[in-house]
Amino acid sequence: MGRVTILKGAPKKDRVPKKIWPYLLIAPSLFCLALILGFPVYRLFTLSLEQYGLREIIAGKGTFVGLANFSETLQDPEFWQVLRRTLIFTFAMVSVSIVAGAFLAHLMMKMHKRIRWVLNGVLILVWAMPQLVSISVWRWLFSFDFSIVTALINSVGIDFPKHNYFVNTLSGFTIIGGSVAWGALPFITISVYAALTQVPKDLLEAAEIDGATSRQKFRHVIFPMLLPVYVILISLSVIWDFQVFSHIWIFLENRPGPEYFTMAVYAFQKSFGMSEYGMGAAISLIMIFVLISVTWYYLRQMMKMGDE
Amino acid sequence: MKTEKSSISSNISGVIAIILMGFPVYWMITTSLKPKDEILTVNPTLIPHHLTFSNYIQATTKDGFLQSLWNSVIVVFFTVIISLAVALFASIAVARMKFKGKQIYVASILLVQMLPLTALLIPLFLLLTKLNLTDKLAGVILTYVAFVLPFVVWTLRGFLVNIPTELEEAALVDGCTKPQAYRLVLFPLIAPGLVATAIFAFIQAWNEFLLAYILLSSPEKATLPIWLAGYTNRFGTDWGPLMAGSTLAAIPVVIFFSLIQNRIATGVTAGAVKG
Repeated sequence: MGRVTILKGAPKKDRVPKKIWPYLLIAPSLFCLALILGFPVYRLFTLSLEQYGLREIIAGKGTFVGLANFSETLQDPEFWQVLRRTLIFTFAMVSVSIVAGAFLAHLMMKMHKRIRWVLNGVLILVWAMPQLVSISVWRWLFSFDFSIVTALINSVGIDFPKHNYFVNTLSGFTIIGGSVAWGALPFITISVYAALTQVPKDLLEAAEIDGATSRQKFRHVIFPMLLPVYVILISLSVIWDFQVFSHIWIFLENRPGPEYFTMAVYAFQKSFGMSEYGMGAAISLIMIFVLISVTWYYLRQMMKMGDE
Repeated sequence: MKTEKSSISSNISGVIAIILMGFPVYWMITTSLKPKDEILTVNPTLIPHHLTFSNYIQATTKDGFLQSLWNSVIVVFFTVIISLAVALFASIAVARMKFKGKQIYVASILLVQMLPLTALLIPLFLLLTKLNLTDKLAGVILTYVAFVLPFVVWTLRGFLVNIPTELEEAALVDGCTKPQAYRLVLFPLIAPGLVATAIFAFIQAWNEFLLAYILLSSPEKATLPIWLAGYTNRFGTDWGPLMAGSTLAAIPVVIFFSLIQNRIATGVTAGAVKG
């Protein structure tokens, strides 16, 4: 609507004043973000300052309690345990999936055409599998009664009795982590591979003529060109892995024990399990705060880039 | 010599990667072809003894399959089209123009990616109820657009920044208006970027479960993932038809991807300036 009036009002030559163009261009996206996320984010803030439980749901109104939810959360030793666990999990997940994805992408450059083609197809299939289904298959692989992995080990001739893989949290988190990394690999590998194919051949040839070894070529030509891609992939991985929820939820059949709580599960459990919605909101906000601090460098870089 | 050698080791690693990555996919497909008594056993086999398509027949004739397929197609189509169009405008502003408040805009775009979905579910549901958009595909589409927008804007911006401004300036000198310059010069050049982001938005919208589950209640509005989830209840999972349905659900993604991947790889930008 605004656009139409501007078109009519201004002189013909410069129908839309130069200064207004960028605002017109970002308007639709701002509108969409503000409409869909504006209120929920605002409500998340207000909810975090309220006592909001079952009684308040029925009354339809929370009681303002100031920062009580935050101070209670920060004084809860369980919170710090969960935070530590989540940070370790995130760090492990990001390192494993980025290193494996980058490694695979570099290998793809040197693979036989057919093998690369099949691998590419597999990666797309993994990506295309609905998450709900892929996690269920992973759960089946390591289930108690009908574990495919247990059966495979037995079929090789090793006697391996029925085994609950999730009694030991380390083994449980390794399996969960495996499925998370497995699901993240296609996106990472395909992105790095696409970036690798964009490295101009003449640059590499020039380096070769100058006598560069393949390691030097990687360090001085390929790596600097790929750096921006890595920064984005690492930051997105941090954001996604920090918020892992569905994997843990589905693997542990909708009732993970406290030893499997990560931040997202913890916040969800507080809200929906214990009906302490105000507390859940406070935990979610702390989560966002931690994420911002962890990715601070990336945010600064991006904002500088965006400002150019 | 050296490249020959490394090629063998990378081929072997490639095969290992195919087996490790592909196993769950392989299991999904073989299970979909197994008769019921071969699926949940203590000694499952890698290859089905008796190939059967009964799971596919069972899945495709079950109530709601075609309806949920159609719903998913609609949701994906509009999510991709709207998010790409909206993000393209925004990314032109971010990549090509200076304006007040740009930093704030960029910051908010980046921060949106950090919002934990699980925390927003309730207020989002309340909001869409107020807007009368719950149990409507439009509500799901709008929500998906909002959630994929940041990634799409940022990725398109990356593609745009790599296109030299000289190209548009030349078009302006040749008498194009600015919108014309964008349409005729920039647009074809960022085609690979549009394609890459389209895939991202496509897969997100095609596979998303949690939001759709909360926002859509009636069975005739269900998207494919919700329909698939119907195979799991408190008595267990009906693996055969679930795997058949999931395999069918993956096919459009694979087709879409393979149609499009060549376009990314060829890199339309490559010869634009030199030409």
